[in-house]
Amino acid sequence: MSAKIEARRVCKRFGSVVALDELSLEIAPGEVFGLIGPNGAGKTTFLRILTGYWLASDGDVFVDGISVTRERFRVQARLGYACEQPKLYADHRVDTFLRMMGELRGLSGARLRAAVGVAVERLGLESVIARRIGVLSKGFRQRVALAQALLHEPALLVVDEPTVGLDPAQQIELRRILAGFRGQHTVILCTHQLHEAEMLCDRVALLDRGRLAALATADEIRTGGSLEALFLAKVGHGAGVVA
Amino acid sequence: MTRRLWTLARKEMRQLFASPIAYVVLTVYVALTGIYFFQHLVSYNQLLFVYQSEGMTAGGFDQGTVPSQINVLNEVFVPSAEDFGLFLLVVLPLVTMRVFSEERANGTDELLLTSGLRPYEVALAKHGVTYLFVMLLLLGSAIYPAVVVLRGGLGFEHLVALYAGQIFYGCAVASLGLACSSFTASQIVAAVLGYAIPFVLLDFAWLSNTVSEHVAAILREAALLSHYGSFARGVIELRNVVYFAGITAFGWLASVASLELTRAR
Repeated sequence: MSAKIEARRVCKRFGSVVALDELSLEIAPGEVFGLIGPNGAGKTTFLRILTGYWLASDGDVFVDGISVTRERFRVQARLGYACEQPKLYADHRVDTFLRMMGELRGLSGARLRAAVGVAVERLGLESVIARRIGVLSKGFRQRVALAQALLHEPALLVVDEPTVGLDPAQQIELRRILAGFRGQHTVILCTHQLHEAEMLCDRVALLDRGRLAALATADEIRTGGSLEALFLAKVGHGAGVVA
Repeated sequence: MTRRLWTLARKEMRQLFASPIAYVVLTVYVALTGIYFFQHLVSYNQLLFVYQSEGMTAGGFDQGTVPSQINVLNEVFVPSAEDFGLFLLVVLPLVTMRVFSEERANGTDELLLTSGLRPYEVALAKHGVTYLFVMLLLLGSAIYPAVVVLRGGLGFEHLVALYAGQIFYGCAVASLGLACSSFTASQIVAAVLGYAIPFVLLDFAWLSNTVSEHVAAILREAALLSHYGSFARGVIELRNVVYFAGITAFGWLASVASLELTRAR
């Protein structure tokens, strides 16, 4: 099950600061789509609009033709979101937290138990299932965030900076997990790790100062050299405005 | 929806009782109400002793008689109820300050509000659990007025009215505190506003000499104390119930609006 995403001239302004400037994108069902760009390019802003957390100042995003602006709850039912720097309840045990998130997603009884079991297995959380989230390593917290996003088998999985702050072993493991999502969900991966985007994504959009600076398929990136070359050519060493 | 609300409510309860604040507030409130109730009881006994002693005959009273206004209702029940109301004002912002602002500060509101939950559901669960906590607080202090009712010859309706009033009043104060918490990520700001607003609303008597009679009458109607007092006398008036229910609903609506405003940031 996967979703088609269409962003149409999406703008987001914070006072005089333009965080997103008429961003238009189309993401095909089942695609693993990368969002890269310097700090303040508008990546997280776009994800927050897509997930219905923020309202676009102008334009709209459609998930399977459903408008996020008008019907955000229907869109949210189709997506799972693992946000930047996993924001979880530190005082909850992993199993309690996952059950709670499953219930909030409308699961119950045997379906809930099965969904939690599958998510725990997919994310390799068996060893920490009875531990408090607050005492977990950053890598495991990130996995818990991904697990809660997968509980209701969403058509769209939105992942923001999943490997930031992780040690190399955790990064490799998490990338292996993310690669396993291919073909099962449409995935939007926002990352600063260019090689990660190159490795995992079918297409990559480069954002700069709220605008789409480049859009390239994996083949085009390989033909043109590397994502790093594209990044430097389009953005250079400059940084954006909005954090 | 009911199931989601119940799940959210359990989360709120877990978070509330995971923090020491809930236990400290419970202990302090029960201790304060106990101490002040005992003081009123001691004062009442002293008054009874004075009036019934021989020396009072010189003051114009017949020996052994007590004026009708010196009774357990006026000397113990009503002043205790006023104190209990004031203590609620002191302790409740300590509970309400973290409820929304902690979610904002930790970023967990993003998790909730992108999980298909309606802002009114989130606010309903948070408000509902806080109101239950208010009732738990009141239950802890119920023994004192209950003793007066049972041993002092007061009617049971006094206890019912007092606790109905305290629940309405406590929920209204808590609702204002929660609304303050929903607009900020800082627990300190939430606490300061949670104290300031109910204290300003408490009583406008100090303003009555500086404004016109008409305005003073309006201010009197707007004050919390004007609507709280009659409950302790065993009277449940619809206008007072509507007043407190209105404030409670306003606080909840403000919380929902604040969550919606996050989206329109």
